[in-house]
Amino acid sequence: MDFKGYGLDQTIFDEMFLPNGEPRVGSQRLHEALLGLSQEELAGIQERVTHSFSTEGITFTVYGDEEAEERIIPVDCVPRIITAAEWDFLERGLVQRVTALNRFLSDVYGDGRIIEDGVIPVDVVRGCPQYRVEMRGMEVPYGVWVAICGTDLVRTNDGFFVLEDNLRVPSGVSYMIANRKAVKAALRRVYRSTRVRDVEHYGRLLRETLRELSPRGQPDPSIVLLTPGIYNSAFYEHMFLAGELGAMLVEGRDLVVNDGFVYTRTTSGLRRVDVIYRRVDDDFLDPLVFRPDSLLGVPGLMHAYRLGNVTLANAPGTGVADDKSVYNYVPDMVRYYLGEEPLLQNVETHLCRRPDGLEYTLDNLDKLVVKRVGGSGGYGMLVGPHATPEEREAYSREIRANPADFISQPTLALSRAPCLVEGGFAPRHVDLRPFLLQGQHARTVPGAFCRVALRPGSLVVNSSQGGGGKDLWVLEE
Amino acid sequence: MILSRTAQGLYWMSRYLDRAEHLCRLLALQMEALVDRPFREVHFGWSRIYGNVHRQPPWGDIGELESDEGLIFDSYTLAEDLTFERLNPGSVWSCFAVGRENARQMRASITEVMWLNLNRTYLRLQHMGIQDIWRISPESFYAETAGAISAFTGSAADTMYRDEAWLFMRLGRAIERVQQTMSLLLTQIALSRQAEDTFDGDWGTLLRLYHAFDAYVYRHGVQVEPDHVLDLLVTDSLLPGALARSLGQVAEALDGLGPGPDTGASADAARLAGRVTALVRYEWDGRDNPEPLLQEINDHCRSMHDLVAATYFDYPIEDFRQR
Repeated sequence: MDFKGYGLDQTIFDEMFLPNGEPRVGSQRLHEALLGLSQEELAGIQERVTHSFSTEGITFTVYGDEEAEERIIPVDCVPRIITAAEWDFLERGLVQRVTALNRFLSDVYGDGRIIEDGVIPVDVVRGCPQYRVEMRGMEVPYGVWVAICGTDLVRTNDGFFVLEDNLRVPSGVSYMIANRKAVKAALRRVYRSTRVRDVEHYGRLLRETLRELSPRGQPDPSIVLLTPGIYNSAFYEHMFLAGELGAMLVEGRDLVVNDGFVYTRTTSGLRRVDVIYRRVDDDFLDPLVFRPDSLLGVPGLMHAYRLGNVTLANAPGTGVADDKSVYNYVPDMVRYYLGEEPLLQNVETHLCRRPDGLEYTLDNLDKLVVKRVGGSGGYGMLVGPHATPEEREAYSREIRANPADFISQPTLALSRAPCLVEGGFAPRHVDLRPFLLQGQHARTVPGAFCRVALRPGSLVVNSSQGGGGKDLWVLEE
Repeated sequence: MILSRTAQGLYWMSRYLDRAEHLCRLLALQMEALVDRPFREVHFGWSRIYGNVHRQPPWGDIGELESDEGLIFDSYTLAEDLTFERLNPGSVWSCFAVGRENARQMRASITEVMWLNLNRTYLRLQHMGIQDIWRISPESFYAETAGAISAFTGSAADTMYRDEAWLFMRLGRAIERVQQTMSLLLTQIALSRQAEDTFDGDWGTLLRLYHAFDAYVYRHGVQVEPDHVLDLLVTDSLLPGALARSLGQVAEALDGLGPGPDTGASADAARLAGRVTALVRYEWDGRDNPEPLLQEINDHCRSMHDLVAATYFDYPIEDFRQR
């Protein structure tokens, strides 16, 4: 099937095509293979990919008015390609960034040198709702606060940019692996001939990472994955990762703390736990320390943690480093802690808490994307160019009422990649979320959860907002 | 060693799926009866099913079923209530959905083949209603659904490692079968007693339900006698679903699991399993009246469930520190 009417736009980077319409280096084989498939064959491939998600129950949960509903993340069968050189650059940039973020967390929960030295204002850190005073003075194994990081990256004609660091309980890695399994089975010939790097060993790397962070340093620690339960939107991922780790998938009610140690309740009695890969937010971890009404957590967990008898990954309090206000200072952190220039660029960000940022934001609302500092999932943000004058006016009133709650960024021309839409190829905006694991060493799998805005023209890739997924192929040299 | 909650989830998954399968098999036979059996037999069949699941029909009783139109109309509503009614916790859909929900939670403890088997059936059922199955061969729908659950059980037997997860599934299924069989036999006896002298009590349907016709003919000949049917369904340890066989599976599973953290409750459960087996093996033949004995076995089986829960799932943690 050909790409007639695909609609290249010179102002937007296309992941498959050069501006002259030729396929990019690395994309030729895939492009050729797609040209060799009929419309019916491609529809069959798409159907097979979607069907495999459906039968395998690879779902996320959407909360409706009355009950939670299992939904399948739409998957586009046309993969996106990243060359070996591009991946090498991204990997180095991610390691650099996460190293700096871990140093930042040790610092702000310790001496606070970066604040004293005036690199970042005290109110940005201490005023952040995600700053946990309970973590002051804590030392975590090997200084690793963030063991699992999912970084949202976008590409424009000016290169790659970090949109967001997800340092609390980042999700999406299971969809990366599910996309790979489904797409490689459906496009087996071109997959084999394209020499794509593997991502399916992520579980082994995660286990290695968590093992390295064990508080007792033993070779085979007892690891559990703590989930809020089946109604959490990412439950499929929790179940999948527990299986990959060979770890018990526990809820708070399965754990008890006694004499400063954490135990699981098993059919043979209580069994000690060394490492908890927690997918429960800070607020709900321990009702004795955080929210007292939490039913998801474990009373006494923070006591055991403070004694060093159990490792929590990620550590509580990491949210202060992925706050949208703090984001602006990450390049400065890289320079401050590592003495290096940041490899990955930030998106220009205006903090409305500052008078100049507020003024600029209000004056340019029709050109900017405005986000709530504590928001996530694409909820509650304003995409200025796509909003009506009434929506912009209403939003500006909210900004004026609480400037510190908002930041703004230019509307980026996110890169686009071909998707199979209504029987033909059409460009859609994409981002990518690679995952970095930090134990005693940093590890990545060469791949990412690639999100795609399936609505024509939309820039919102979040699955809760009509986004879908794509397989991302990182090529061998 | 597995998580107590996982053990509990697998145990209940098996119970609910077996419950759904049992009801499907009953409904398949009832759908066949609708085609050509007399009104009173159809009425008896519906009463037996409702008695078995301990539920009242939607309008309080089965109705008269005295005309073909009435029979079809009422049966449609009764079948809907028992099959797709979301508010009926004992409907095929509800039992299947709870079983599948348990499987979804415990997915890391079952094999991929098992999950795919189960989820395919779920996707097939989730948007169906009685109108989709009624016009053409509803018995096929029930037979296919029961077959799909059987296939799930078969895939478990083919692919699961024989560890505790497997044993808890076996235990749940065996206890469920004991309770379903007891409930069905007690209902059958009570309804037969109330029936007119000219009606034979439709004991043959029970033989078909348990795939026991050949075994019956082999032991007792072609004449269907209630006492002989009861003997077979209670004491034949070679017949799948017969009480003696299911009780044997309960004892085997408990033996395989060994004592749980609450060793007192463990010992009580094993003792009770022995007591029930002895009742079937040694006291059944000399019975005057089957009902009190069946009732006693039924009560013991309920206690056994409670003891299993106390032993492995809900033991008090103050008393059982790390072993």
